[in-house]
Amino acid sequence: MTAAEAALTMRPEGLAARKALRNSRLRGAAFAVFAVLAGYLASRSFDVAATFSFWIDKQGGETATLSTTVGAMWVVAAIATALVGVLQLRSAEFRWRRWLLVAIAPWIAALLGNLLAGKAAVLTNVLAGSLELAAPISMAAMAGILSERSGMLNIALEGKMLVGACVAAIVGSIVSLATGNAVLAVLAAVVSAMLVAALLGLLLAWLGIRHKVDQIIAGTVINIGAVGITNFIFLRILSRATEYNSPPPVQAVRIPVLADIPVLGPIFFVATPYVYIAYAMVAILTYMIYRTRWGLRLRAAGEKPAAAGTVGINVLQIRYRALILAGLISGLAGSYLSLATSSSFQLQMTAGKGFIGLAAMIFGAWHPVGAFLAALVFGFADATQSLLSILGVDVAPQILQSIPYVVTIVVVAGVVGRVRGPASAGQPYEQG
Amino acid sequence: MKRVGPLLRRILVPVLSVLTALLLGGVVIILTDFDNLQKIGTDPLGTLGGAVQGVLNAYGAMLAGAFGDPNRIITALQTGNAADIARAIRPLTETLVSTTPLIFVGLAVSISFRAGMFNIGGDGQLMIGALAATASAIALNGVIPAWLILIATIAIATLAGAAWGFVPGFLKARTGAHEVITTIMLNYIASLFVFFILTTSPALRAAGSTTPVSKQLSSIVDVPNLINLPTIRLDFGFVVALLMAVAVSWLLFRTTKGFELRAAGFSSTAARYAGMSAGGSMMLAMSLSGGLAGMAGGFLVIGTVGQLSLDLSGGIGFNAIALALLAGLRPSGVVVSALLFGALTQGGKRMGIDTGIPFDLLLFIMALVIMFVAAPGLIRSIWRVRVAKPAPEIAQVSSESAGTV
Repeated sequence: MTAAEAALTMRPEGLAARKALRNSRLRGAAFAVFAVLAGYLASRSFDVAATFSFWIDKQGGETATLSTTVGAMWVVAAIATALVGVLQLRSAEFRWRRWLLVAIAPWIAALLGNLLAGKAAVLTNVLAGSLELAAPISMAAMAGILSERSGMLNIALEGKMLVGACVAAIVGSIVSLATGNAVLAVLAAVVSAMLVAALLGLLLAWLGIRHKVDQIIAGTVINIGAVGITNFIFLRILSRATEYNSPPPVQAVRIPVLADIPVLGPIFFVATPYVYIAYAMVAILTYMIYRTRWGLRLRAAGEKPAAAGTVGINVLQIRYRALILAGLISGLAGSYLSLATSSSFQLQMTAGKGFIGLAAMIFGAWHPVGAFLAALVFGFADATQSLLSILGVDVAPQILQSIPYVVTIVVVAGVVGRVRGPASAGQPYEQG
Repeated sequence: MKRVGPLLRRILVPVLSVLTALLLGGVVIILTDFDNLQKIGTDPLGTLGGAVQGVLNAYGAMLAGAFGDPNRIITALQTGNAADIARAIRPLTETLVSTTPLIFVGLAVSISFRAGMFNIGGDGQLMIGALAATASAIALNGVIPAWLILIATIAIATLAGAAWGFVPGFLKARTGAHEVITTIMLNYIASLFVFFILTTSPALRAAGSTTPVSKQLSSIVDVPNLINLPTIRLDFGFVVALLMAVAVSWLLFRTTKGFELRAAGFSSTAARYAGMSAGGSMMLAMSLSGGLAGMAGGFLVIGTVGQLSLDLSGGIGFNAIALALLAGLRPSGVVVSALLFGALTQGGKRMGIDTGIPFDLLLFIMALVIMFVAAPGLIRSIWRVRVAKPAPEIAQVSSESAGTV
């Protein structure tokens, strides 16, 4: 036992502190292993060229090109990983979760270089695509944060998104047929998707609070029912009358001035409105949860509902409202799938995005900013998949498609480090 | 309805749940019948009649598809013509064919629920079991006699399913990862994995097929049929499923391990204080659960279906949750509910063919069944009857052992 450990055991919290110290060392060792691995990969790939280009002002225009070797990229990854490892080993209180991004980003870039194996690739579309694909996942994560911060588990995000996607497609098509006005049709589609999903959120809250149905079972009811009813509607109506499944697509919008920034503009400021809403939602929710009275009460309801109730906070009302709000958000996320991705509804088109959103929420430690960054990683994995298949890189598509699911399991299992969620999430609360 | 016997009271909620769910399914049928609804302005009475007729047609087709025509069965039996008998009883035997995997996976869900684990990964565990059975049947072809292949493939399918089920059990016990998320993710991974194997492995894939399906296994190994008539598929898998129900019942209610499983389900804290290993119970329950689902997959590929395909499971995992809850997690109840759901499944296919109403309506009806069983207060207020409280296992699977969601 070292002196530091001996000193720690003297204190009453010694056991926990020692455990933290041990975990910290394990984590440091893991970073070291990854740094060595990156170094080894570097030594094998100094002769492989890595050529990444970016559109400067618009798609198909001039490009700015970044030429290097895959080996150099691995060196960067090795150095970054080693740096994080050293910082981790120096202190058990090291906030490694924030620094993880420093190590992950060069790793992903180097892996991409490895997979491309010398082929040149334009990255603007991949990065912009990551933002697009991250938008619904991020929104699902925000809905999850709202629910769980209030003390309600929300397994049903997946089902609400699926129903939202279906409703948006149908309403969008009908309004578009009736009025011929695409903007009006999209607005009506989005609003109706949000309202229907909010009703499902209300159903979830009502089953969980009023009838004390286990929140997991209540969520499963909605998930299974959503698959059943949307499959039924698709097969009975939409597959035969395709005019009811052709909503006007949501197009990318250029933000004036900002979109003219070279290289960055086309990545961040030429996107569907959903992406801008996702940015805004992160900022608004962070402010609401941590800086307002409403947010304090929300967190109290999820952490210690009995205490919140004692000081006169209406816990059940907070939970009802949080779930309705979460429903609105997941409906919006669902409408993205049928309006922006494919401009039609497809069978079970959510494909686990609601659950991946929950994983992003956990990875981001129930904080909007963290969850958004985690959603970006998932979005990037998705976008890379399409880039690799376009370039004809030889990896089986099923393997690539399963990556987000594997990552989700790893995240939920907390292999990358346990975080504590709201203490009372999932517990029914009896209001006296 | 105030004074009802204890048995009647126990089955009152399940029966009314199914009835209410079917009625609401009927409402959905009416609301999506646009051709009929368009007449409402000119001919409201006709529309009403058409709506009722539509629902009756749908559920009538379902009944005929599930049970066949009794008169025809009697006439066929009297004439003694094998082909006629086969044609007449086929709906009934096909219902039992649909029932078989539902019993297996329903038992699987019940075991995990009893131990406080919400296993919704039945589909994935079934697919992995089916894949293992397919691969081992092809690998063992010609190496050992067919009857030994039969036993070996079922054993391997069971083990593979158990391994796939063990993973979420282990993760829950060690890290607290909630099994609902991990099992769903494993479902996606399992079906992508099967897809991957079927597209890349020339040994497994059927030669010359455009869709990813495996070779026909019936020439290698086939579970013996129960009734030797042409086109009748019902085989000994059904008998094994019934035996498994007995075995699970014995395990849960007559053994120490079963008591520990149920204790962990009631209260993991109490079980731990009594010196039992809650984590061990989770892993055991999930392995047994996965094993039963894997066995279902094995019997499908070497028995009634005869080959591995991507739509093999067809949502059995989700149906199994509904039927297990409906059965109050009792193995005997699982058999009865599986018969009901088998009839619904078989009848639903016939409904789809005869009336064009998609089979997927059943999934919606199942969701409603789960909701009503889990919230008997709804049934109480709809039908104005006094109902028993739900079993504690149904009332809360997650509140005490809640993991990371």
